[in-house]
Formats: sequence, C-alpha cells, structure tokens
Amino acid sequence: MTALATNPVPPMPLGRVIGAYLSDAKYESLRLLRTPAFSVPILAMPILFYTFFGVILNGKGGEAVANQIFVGWTVYGVMGPGLFGFGILVAVERNQGLLTFKRALPMPTGSYLSAKLMMAYIFAIVVMAMLVTAGLTEGHITLGGVRLLELAAVMSLGVFPACAVGLFIGSYAPASSAAAFANITYLGMAFLSGLFFPISGVLKTIQPIWPTYHLAQLARASAGLPSQGSLVQHMAILAAITVVLTLMAARKLARRG
Amino acid sequence: MDSADTALARLIGARKRYGDTVALDGLDLEVRPGELLSVLGPNGAGKTTAIALLLGLQLPDAGEAKLFGRSPQDLNARRGVGVMMQEVMLPDALKVHELVSMTAAYYPTPLALAETITLAGIEKIAQRPYAKLSGGQKRQAQFALAICGRPRLLFLDEPTTGLDINARETMWATVRRLVRGGTSVVLTTHYIEEAEALADRVVVMAKGRRVAEGTVEEMRAIVVRKRVDCATSVALAAIEAWPEVSAATGTAGAVSITTTDAEAVVRRLLAADPGLRDLEVRRAGLSEAFAELTADKIPETPIEEAA
Repeated sequence: MTALATNPVPPMPLGRVIGAYLSDAKYESLRLLRTPAFSVPILAMPILFYTFFGVILNGKGGEAVANQIFVGWTVYGVMGPGLFGFGILVAVERNQGLLTFKRALPMPTGSYLSAKLMMAYIFAIVVMAMLVTAGLTEGHITLGGVRLLELAAVMSLGVFPACAVGLFIGSYAPASSAAAFANITYLGMAFLSGLFFPISGVLKTIQPIWPTYHLAQLARASAGLPSQGSLVQHMAILAAITVVLTLMAARKLARRG
Repeated sequence: MDSADTALARLIGARKRYGDTVALDGLDLEVRPGELLSVLGPNGAGKTTAIALLLGLQLPDAGEAKLFGRSPQDLNARRGVGVMMQEVMLPDALKVHELVSMTAAYYPTPLALAETITLAGIEKIAQRPYAKLSGGQKRQAQFALAICGRPRLLFLDEPTTGLDINARETMWATVRRLVRGGTSVVLTTHYIEEAEALADRVVVMAKGRRVAEGTVEEMRAIVVRKRVDCATSVALAAIEAWPEVSAATGTAGAVSITTTDAEAVVRRLLAADPGLRDLEVRRAGLSEAFAELTADKIPETPIEEAA
C-alpha cells in the first residue's frame, strides 16, 4: 500500500468537476426552497405585491400604466433572490463555519459562489414566470412575446448586480443583522430608485447611485416604455457596481474566511 | 524507503502564532500510509491548528505543510482527504442523504450513496432533515460526509463527542475497517480510551510542540508510575503526605493514587486501614502517561487539563 503516497489521488475528470458545480447549485436551490424565511419573501412577495398594485388597484389605469407597474415589480422581483441569497446566507455561513468546512473539502474553486449565482438565476426565472403569467392573464399588460424576451434578457443581466449587492452585504454585515440590512437595502433601493412612483427633490439627485434605477431604465427601454439617460451608460454603471462590490467582498472574504 | 517519501501528510518545523499566542512552535508531524495516528494534548496544545495547516485552511508562518507531497491548498491534494471537524454547521434544510451526495460530488471516485450510508451506520437518519437530528446523530452524519469520498487520509477531530455507546462502537468499527482497507487516519480526541482502542501511534502535543511520540504501549512505558485505587477511611491529605505518592485524588471513601512505588503505598494503606476494600493496582493508563508527559516537559501545564 505504500504506492498510495506517490500516486495518492486519481485525477478528477472534467465531467465530475462540472457535476460538482451543478450538484452544489441544485442543493443550494433545494435548501432555500425548503427555508420559508427565504423562499416566501423571495417567491411570494413580488407576485402578491404585483397582484395588489397591478391587478386589484389598477383596474382602470390603462395599458401604459399597466405595463409600467408590471416592469417595476419585475425589476423588484428579479433582484430579490440574489440580494437575499447572498446577503443573508454568506453572512450566516461565514459565522457558522460552513465556509471553513467547505474550504477543507475539495469543493471546486468558485463553486460556493457559483451555486448561489445559479440559485439566484433559477429563483429569478420562477419569479419572472409568475409575474408574466399574472400580467398577461389579470394585469392587462400589452407586451408581446419579443418585448417579454427582451425584458427577460435585461433581467437576466440584472441578477448579477443583485448578487453583487447581496455578496457585499453578506461579506461585511454580522450574521445577526444581515437580514435587516438586506431588507432595508432591498426596499430602500426599490422605492428610492423610483421603481414604483416618480421621485423628486434631493432623492432624485441621488437616484443614480441605486443599481435598481439603472436596471429599471434598461427594463423600461426593453419593454418599449419611456426611459431616462443613455442605455450604454446604465449598463456600464451596473457593470461597474457589480465589479467593485464583488472585489470588495472578495477581499473581505479572503481575509476572514 | 525514506519516510519523507511515503508520508501522506507532513508538518515540518511548522510555526503559527495568533497575535501574542504561539499556537505551533516548530511542530514536526508526519502521517504514514495505513496508520491511525492519534494526536493528544490539552486544550490549546495546537492540535486543531496543526490540522488546519494540513488541510490548507491556514498557512504556517514558518516551516512547511505538505499533503500527498503537495501544498494542502492544492485542490488535487485535498481530493484525497476526508474531514470531520469539531464545529460545523451544515445546510440543515437538506436531508442527510442529500448532504452525502453533495459532498461525494467533490471527489473523483466516491463511494456509492448506499455504501456510505451502510458504512457510517446512518440508515435510520438518512432520509431525515439534518435540522431534526440530535447532536450525536449530527456527528454520525458528519462522519458519513468524511468517508463518502473514499479518502486516503481521514481527519477526525473529536469524532465521538456526544455519541451514545452503540454509535461510538459503530464508528470505531468503521474506522478500524477503513484502516484495514488502507486508509490512514489522524484522530484527535479527548477520550484517551479512544486512542487506546484505535491508535497505532500516538503523538502528544503541548504548547504547540510535540512532547512525545510512539505506540500506545510505548507511551505507557515512558512513565513507570502505577495507579492504586481503593476504598479507605484514610484521609486524602494523609495519603498525599506519603513520600511515594506523586498524586492522590478522590472523594470520601474512594481514592485514586498515582505512585512510582505501588508496593510501598499498598503496605502503608493496609497498615493504616485494616478495613480497606476494593484494592486495585494497575499500570498507568494513557491518560496518566499523558498527564505525566505534558506536566514534566511543560511545567506550567496543569495536570487536570489532561484528563
């Protein structure tokens, strides 16, 4: 058995490495689906809010308003999984020693974060699918198939900054208050960026600091609604926010583990 | 072959300090193929830090850590390792069999799920969510995660804490079976009988250094002291005052005496107390040997810590 030492470990085939990434994503999604504290606000709140504001209260608003409300809640809904998935879980897992355990295991590099990213995508797709169904059946939206696909494409880009904001919160906030930070950030960004009603005064001046503001402009443009500013600039700012927050989080995580 | 070539894991002059605290003070440690190495030592001896270096969780300030001849931070090196840590929280919404599958996916040639479940003896809890398990059951589940990757080297940090006797016996039997199959094991434990039951070799650590190394038998032989137990009416303070006695503990009636001259102590006891009962003389267990070692070489270490 002394040959063990010289040839200790068989190589990991690429298929199994990819399999490990997918398995991590699967179990990350499964565990969050089974955690009501996470899955209820993420999956149920956007559709409930949209049904209330977009369907019940907006009986006579007309199609422009209907589309506007729909796009607003879509942006809100799609941001949730990334923000909460990273924001709360990274903070908690940092404290609980799960991260340390996973680092001791031969988990592929990046699988911890990629699993959460894929989970955020899967949940975002489900949220958007529910909103589209509600919008088309009850919300009187008049967006065609192409518009909806364009909106979906923009939303799929929006998952990245949402995850970056969440990762930033999760890396710096203590586990006990990460949920509060994530909630305040989530609601604050949604309202202060003018997702649901126009903003004025000082709040309007600082509006461009919110990633939701830029994502909302891109979403409106893709849905054929009036939007503000340059689309390229919105994209560049979202990309910059994503990169900067991710780097700051990575620095913190690398230091503390 | 030189042992340096065959060692599965090695620390060479490893130093690690946290602020003013020296956790490892030039530790040399090697894990040989097929052996069960038990690392003993009081709290703060540096056992967990030594394992953290071997797992690549931390880097030594000086010296070297090697796993299968590579850096422990090399993913390929860690693919040969299974780990059971002391403090770990797992995603508790997942069921035990799901946690096993998730962990097994990290390894090149893991055991089949059913095989892991049987080997770890977790048939009864495999379908249950981790959150619903008792402390001991959680340790059993963590043990399953440690062995599911068919590791060549298994790190078990205090594995049987909180287990009932049956579960402990099952785990010991599995560990013995894995060792017979060629797996090497590094076991840290506070349960001396665990090291006595399982270990091929024992390393005793204190204050970040290795203070002794050898087989369980050699460890015992290092100290010639014997232990005398009896039920007696002689006062503890009086026993402690006898020149042959190195330590005496106990409550009213039942006394435990550590001595280099058991015959002399027994003679004194019988002379002082004709009603003496339950006399028992035995060679010091590993527990006493260990207390002796850490106390002799490192005078500041209180002996009680070793128990």
